[in-house]
Amino acid sequence: MRNRFDEQLEQLNIQLIKMGALCEESIACAVKALFDERTSEMIDKVNENEIETDHMEHEIEALCMRLLLHQQPVARDLRSVSSALKMISDMERIGDQSQDIAEIAGFVHSTDLAGRVSISDMADKAISMVTMSVDSFVKRDVDLAHAAIAADDEVDKLFLEVRNELIGLVRSDAEEAEYFMDLLMAAKYLERIADHATNIAEWVLYSITGER
Amino acid sequence: MTKRIFGGAFAVSLIAILSSVALVLGIAYNNEQQLFIRQLSQQAMLLAATMDNTTPEDDVKSLEKLSADIHGVFENRITYIDPEGNVLYDNKADITTMENHLNREEIAEALNSGTGTAIRQSSTMSETTVYCARVIGFGCVVRVSGTMDTVLARIGSMWWEVLLVVIAAALVSMGVAALVARAVVKPINSIDLKNPDIGESYGEIAPLLHRIRDQNKEIDLRIEELTRSRREFSLITENMSEGFIIIDSRTEVLSYNSAALKILGGDAEHSEIKSVLALNRSEAFRKAVEDSLAGKRSETDLTLSDRVYQIIATPALNGDKVSGAVIIILDITEKESREELRREFTSNVSHELKTPLTTIYGISDMLVGGIVKPEDITGFARNIRDEAGRMITLIEDILKLSQLDENSFTDRQEQVDILTLAQLAAERLTPMAESSHVTISVTGSRAEFTGISSVLEEMIYNLVDNAVKYNKPGGRVDVEVTDGADDITVTVADTGIGIPAGSADRIFERFYRVDKSHSRKIGGTGLGLSIVKHGAALHGGTVSVSSKEGIGTTFTLTLPKK
Repeated sequence: MRNRFDEQLEQLNIQLIKMGALCEESIACAVKALFDERTSEMIDKVNENEIETDHMEHEIEALCMRLLLHQQPVARDLRSVSSALKMISDMERIGDQSQDIAEIAGFVHSTDLAGRVSISDMADKAISMVTMSVDSFVKRDVDLAHAAIAADDEVDKLFLEVRNELIGLVRSDAEEAEYFMDLLMAAKYLERIADHATNIAEWVLYSITGER
Repeated sequence: MTKRIFGGAFAVSLIAILSSVALVLGIAYNNEQQLFIRQLSQQAMLLAATMDNTTPEDDVKSLEKLSADIHGVFENRITYIDPEGNVLYDNKADITTMENHLNREEIAEALNSGTGTAIRQSSTMSETTVYCARVIGFGCVVRVSGTMDTVLARIGSMWWEVLLVVIAAALVSMGVAALVARAVVKPINSIDLKNPDIGESYGEIAPLLHRIRDQNKEIDLRIEELTRSRREFSLITENMSEGFIIIDSRTEVLSYNSAALKILGGDAEHSEIKSVLALNRSEAFRKAVEDSLAGKRSETDLTLSDRVYQIIATPALNGDKVSGAVIIILDITEKESREELRREFTSNVSHELKTPLTTIYGISDMLVGGIVKPEDITGFARNIRDEAGRMITLIEDILKLSQLDENSFTDRQEQVDILTLAQLAAERLTPMAESSHVTISVTGSRAEFTGISSVLEEMIYNLVDNAVKYNKPGGRVDVEVTDGADDITVTVADTGIGIPAGSADRIFERFYRVDKSHSRKIGGTGLGLSIVKHGAALHGGTVSVSSKEGIGTTFTLTLPKK
């Protein structure tokens, strides 16, 4: 009825959806840890997800290799597999950077500093970018992938904004400078996450259209 | 099949043509041979007649003369043999080398009966020699013999013609065979297997066609049954407001209804959804799917765009193996909010009851401890009475509400005049209104209505009471009773503080207060408008509110005449 190749491709698809969902959760939890009260719970969750994401990366990698060696896919299928290989490393990076943000949240959160800069806007935007890129993969939606790529510029702009705000704060409130530095790091991680989301969206485009 | 029929027909017709050719050849050859024998015997007869029958020597001489005359014309061999079998003359061979001919078949036969014939094949089988012998006068034998080709040699000599005939025969039989094969197979090929016409085709395959027809009917029936049950199933699931998804063990969607798609946000044009995880990949949903595929029934709540859904994933077991799962998605937003309301109500009631009780307990504790001066006792006792009174009012209101809720009024329905009720309420509230500088006016006509008078009175009282309480000093309360054709309308308009737009929907909820800090001073139980709403519902009516913050509020109570 249906051959093993199709089955394996579908399995790859499901695994990628799962891994994407894990990434979304990780970053959402990391950001919550930064702003919300249940910090330790959220940090645990991010760490748990990080291990799971690493594990899934290996699993998907092995699946892709099996597909490439045994089935020798061509054309669109080959693009799917090769872009999957690329996407998982971006997803894994998102997981890592979420963990880094969660780590920072561990000591920043007790202060209300996070609320004083527009980092939450940036976080919202980055989360929505990850969601959009994963969605574009799930729905094979070219427009959504383009939208995700376009959103990266806004995140970059927001990062500069946050940076300037932090510079101002360091000048006026030198005692808290340590925390401001941490926040700057968190903002940088968010900016990197947005970049990875862009990459994912680009791979989605490549796997659908074959254009790079 | 065409090939086999062709092969058979070809072989048969080829054999037929070749054997008839062979037969004709054989007969013709045989005739020719008979003719040859007759010729030879006639020649022998003629020879015998030409000889003068004197002595063998004369005969030999005349023979020699004859053969010299006809040399080159007469090809047959002439032999002259004496009764002892010695050859005396031969026109083709040297008589000295020839052996005794007495034992030759034709000679023996001629000596015996006057004439003799024999046919002998040459050693190479290419020629047949025919001998005809005849006895003359004194026992001598004259023999004429000639050769003719054997059948094989004859055929060999005309192999070209034979080959042509064979090829022509093969071609003809091939054509015939092809025609026959096609003609035989054509009716079979032209059978309409969907709807076989048994009468039109070969009788031999009629049982087969019967069988096919029956099976066709059976298949049609089954397909129809399947389609019908499928249609029924989808009709049922499509009309469910609950989402319904069936997945296989690889999380692939096998069936779903449009409600599921609507809830999970999939679009119809994207209908080639493969994995259910493409519809929703949230942790709760994923866990529910994974649990169900691991053979464990799971229930979980999922919040999607402000609505709460319950996901019930049940494994579909095939023996011990999980072959898939059924996912049902229920909208439990209403249930959740009702639950929330109930919790709120319970905590509100406890709170409202606890406050006066705490005061009563505190004061009575002081009284028991004897630390109250005798002249203050009256004041404290009044406090206790006031708080107890508040509790009684509250409990009465709660009881009334629960009576209204359960529709368990024992009071008889009676004819009451709504205008009178409004005037009574205004009268009872006038002292309070005057103290806060509010004027109450009641206008309208008499309006007879059949209902439970205590409830109606309470409703109108509550409306006017609220209008006075939430008014501004120097404000007005206008009560108007209109006796319409189908229903009676009571409007209570005030010039008070109004209700914020966001709260207008909630003021009929139990214990709901727009301004919680303010309400304690104003008093009341927070149940007044709830009673109005339920009372109106009891009489089949409705109550509505329109309000502008800071300008005033108008309540409209509509009671239908039965």
